[in-house]
Amino acid sequence: MTLQAERVDEVVSALRGVLRDEQILTSKPDRLNRARVPAPFPVHRWTERMPDLAVLPTSTEEVAAVVRIANDLRVPIVPRDGGTGLTDGAVPLRGGIVVDVKRMNAIRELDLENRTVTVGTGINMLKLNEQLARHDLFYPDDPASYPCSLVGGRIGTSGWSLIGSRYGHTRDLVLSFDFVLPTGEVMHVGDGIGHKISKSSSGYQLKHLFMGHQGTLGIATEATLKLFPKPEAELSPFWAFDNYDDAYACVGALARAGVATFAGAVLFDEHKVAYLRRDDEAYIPQPGDVRALVCTVMYGYEDEVRPAGKRLFRIAREHGARYLGDEISEGDWAARHDRYATPLHGRTKAGQVVPMSWHCEDAAINYTHLPAVTKAWHEIVADLRRRTDVFDDWGMFAYTSGNTGVDYLTEIDVGIWEQQLDDRAWEMWVKAKRDIAAVAISHNGSISACHGSCRDGEVDLVPDELGRGFDVMLDVKRALDPNNIMNPGKYLLDRAYDTGRQA
Amino acid sequence: MTQIEEPVDRDDPLNRPFTPGMRDNPADLASMPDEIARVHEIGPDASPEQQFAAEWRNASYNCFSSGHKFCREVCPVMQVTRNESWTPTAFHANVVAMERGELGIEEVAADYVNCTQCGACELRCPNTLFTGDFYRFRTRTVDVVKAARAFAVESGVHQPGWKTWNERTDLRTHEPVLGDTDVSQEHVRDWSEGLDIPIGGETILFVDCEAAFYRTSVPRAVAQILQQAGVEFGLMGEQWCCGGPAAEMGYVDQAKRFAQHNLDNWRSTGTRRVLVLDPHDYISFTEDYPKYFGADYDIEIVLVVELFAELIREGRLTPSVPVERSITYHDPCRLNKRKGIWKEPREILRAIPGLDFKDVDRVTQWSYCSGGGGGLPVEKPELTAAISAKRMEHASVLEVDTMVSACPWSERPLGEAGDGAGIDVIDLHELLATSLGIEVGGSTRGGAR
Amino acid sequence: MTESNNGKGRPVGYRYAEQLTPPEPAQVTDVARTSFEHVYEVDPRLMQTWVLQQEFPNWDTLRIMNSRHDHLDWMHRHFAHKVVTGSELLAEVEAEGGQS
Repeated sequence: MTLQAERVDEVVSALRGVLRDEQILTSKPDRLNRARVPAPFPVHRWTERMPDLAVLPTSTEEVAAVVRIANDLRVPIVPRDGGTGLTDGAVPLRGGIVVDVKRMNAIRELDLENRTVTVGTGINMLKLNEQLARHDLFYPDDPASYPCSLVGGRIGTSGWSLIGSRYGHTRDLVLSFDFVLPTGEVMHVGDGIGHKISKSSSGYQLKHLFMGHQGTLGIATEATLKLFPKPEAELSPFWAFDNYDDAYACVGALARAGVATFAGAVLFDEHKVAYLRRDDEAYIPQPGDVRALVCTVMYGYEDEVRPAGKRLFRIAREHGARYLGDEISEGDWAARHDRYATPLHGRTKAGQVVPMSWHCEDAAINYTHLPAVTKAWHEIVADLRRRTDVFDDWGMFAYTSGNTGVDYLTEIDVGIWEQQLDDRAWEMWVKAKRDIAAVAISHNGSISACHGSCRDGEVDLVPDELGRGFDVMLDVKRALDPNNIMNPGKYLLDRAYDTGRQA
Repeated sequence: MTQIEEPVDRDDPLNRPFTPGMRDNPADLASMPDEIARVHEIGPDASPEQQFAAEWRNASYNCFSSGHKFCREVCPVMQVTRNESWTPTAFHANVVAMERGELGIEEVAADYVNCTQCGACELRCPNTLFTGDFYRFRTRTVDVVKAARAFAVESGVHQPGWKTWNERTDLRTHEPVLGDTDVSQEHVRDWSEGLDIPIGGETILFVDCEAAFYRTSVPRAVAQILQQAGVEFGLMGEQWCCGGPAAEMGYVDQAKRFAQHNLDNWRSTGTRRVLVLDPHDYISFTEDYPKYFGADYDIEIVLVVELFAELIREGRLTPSVPVERSITYHDPCRLNKRKGIWKEPREILRAIPGLDFKDVDRVTQWSYCSGGGGGLPVEKPELTAAISAKRMEHASVLEVDTMVSACPWSERPLGEAGDGAGIDVIDLHELLATSLGIEVGGSTRGGAR
Repeated sequence: MTESNNGKGRPVGYRYAEQLTPPEPAQVTDVARTSFEHVYEVDPRLMQTWVLQQEFPNWDTLRIMNSRHDHLDWMHRHFAHKVVTGSELLAEVEAEGGQS
């Protein structure tokens, strides 16, 4: 919280000119419940991240009016959509006004001929797909938060999709959107100016710039999305291996096969399998020589999926795979659309169950670097565990990001016992995050394929990763947000301003 | 830029994958000194909020620390308000904030009104759905909401509508449902006029307040179906409200007093088995009463929907009068979400000739609700109406003329929403009775019989 | 009451003592065991220090297990009209012999 009480009154009275009273929330519970995202943070420091107030706008015009007021009064704005991100994009670092877009969840236009839908950015993808199913259509943006994250947050974080190897990721699926800039001006941005254009060469390619900025450049309010036919058939075989190296070789071969219906492949390392044996009914009874897993998934027409599936089965067989059976393959895949870890997976080293928060450190890593990164990351987490049971190693996944197998979303899942997360433990964790990010960069990777990289620890290395590009970020930020009101404190962007910190 | 490449000791057990708790794990895993983790203790000067939070600490951290929020888009209140302060996640986070000394109950009591206790959030939560049975530890949002409301009442923080409602319930021994029938002990059996049902006996039919005084067609249908099947039953000697609504709104002492009366009364008439037609009563009798009475609770509770499905299977009931309606079924939350009972109502509907049944699967219906539960219509009728209207929108898309429910408390708000949408709301038992050739009688809208 | 044919082999209805009597568990590994068919449970010795188990009537265990299966089926239907069965493809590949 940054504002004095009288300034809050000034802001509220200005907001009353553009919003109804019930859209303006100022109580402490309202603010506490908009201070958090799933990523762990010391609970005793919760109030450091409280906004001064929150608003629930229902239109682009209302969002723009709120932002204009904030810009005039030099009050921070923090856009909040689902609040399910793992890099604190929706967390207020300097108080101010949380602009919560959840009420902007209408379907505005469904264009069956051009196969697009235009929606308020407060809509959730699962709910959208329930509506689209009536037309046998499908919007395939599928994060682990699929049942609760919102289209606007997917734009703000430039999200990664589990089935992106087939359909593309958020950046490919969102054609264009209305966007409120930090000055309160409204811009439509897409390929060119078109609402439903998937490829334009007109002007700078601005769409990507306004995706993945973690709310530091403004607020997406209405988006036009690309639609696909709802797939006729799904195939999701899971295979077991008695060692990591064979599984690693297999996942690479599957991804390189160039099968058109290939929607993704996932490699589970040995730590992940040991972790699944704690509590996962599919893996508890597996024989001890199951030490690594690979799954792949395909979507398409049945007469495409069947022969292509056989091709992948042949590849798996050549790599020593054992098929885990239909029940596990089908059941485990269906559980991956909402596979946030649950707290009771946490264990002390002695085996006692403890409630842990899940944190997933991700990076974009080339195939050839996966084994080295995997090894280095586990060693970092082992160092934490050696000191305390506050941290737990939940194993690693590597997911294909594209359809050629060039790079993988690589993640290490770390359990963090939030009830015990004091300042000293937090310091240990921030250092570990920095080390994890350093490993990614040293292997020619990117700090994040999926979540973004603006939390404590990793954010320190963003200028190293981006080089001169980071200075361009600062220039863009300064040009678009002259008063540093839009989600200040993120991504070291304060460096764009002479004072280093404004608003 | 430095690369982390320190030499690794392969003998260190932490450098190898292991499953904690396996008996052949290296012994030193369990004996490493811990720099951080300490036993949690509540100080002697803990505030009432902190004492309250102590009981719900792990349950609420389980939500707070996972933060996945899969509850959000299935929550009926959230779907119509889109206000994150009124989500299951917030209800748990507030407990953690109380533990931290950041919130007092008076600051959050009104937020806890915004819940129908439908149970969607609990079920959809991965901590229940994926691991609740594994750990015998699941998300308990409904219990947390009930406990927070009780803590508020205990702290003298009342919601005006609930306070009045429970005072009137206490006075009349029944909920003050509005209608033409006077709510009082004297009139609790008026619905059964002409049906010649004895009092007491081994098996009795318990009729909830809404059905006894407002939608009397429901108990009339149930009683006549039981009679047609030859099931022997009586009515309760002196039936009071089950106490469930008082428990839901936080008036726990009153709820327990009512429960004790009912149990004593069953015992006094030699009753061993209670037939229940209302899902809310079914929750009270199978969840609240066992908590109050423990192992002494030896009364068998039978949901008539399950019984009727069985009687149809056995051929003791044969619906044969065609009912020419295009219907969809509304899964009552307390059956589908909170009890997993969804097959039997569909079995009954599929046994009724003439129906054009446009079903919506029960998982999709986790996000449907009438808004009629948890005291919401007493304190925030506008939210109940919005939730019912949303439910009715889902039915409108199916182009049906009738929505069938199996919960009297849902039928009033859904019926009102249906008026606008041109869709009739009928109770499953009423529909079955019609197909069994029974002239049901009674009122569907609180009018005189 | 009549006997149920819903597969549980018990009459319909709730009985307190019955609900609090789960089947005798069978140990599967050091950390897990089974009770009902398709139900795995943590070895209770792992929940004795930091998180204690809740009272869990049988109906709740079965409700959760059944709901999970229903939910997973629902997710399949949500993403695609049908599921191609891996074992069928594997059988065809095996029948083809070694070529790839």
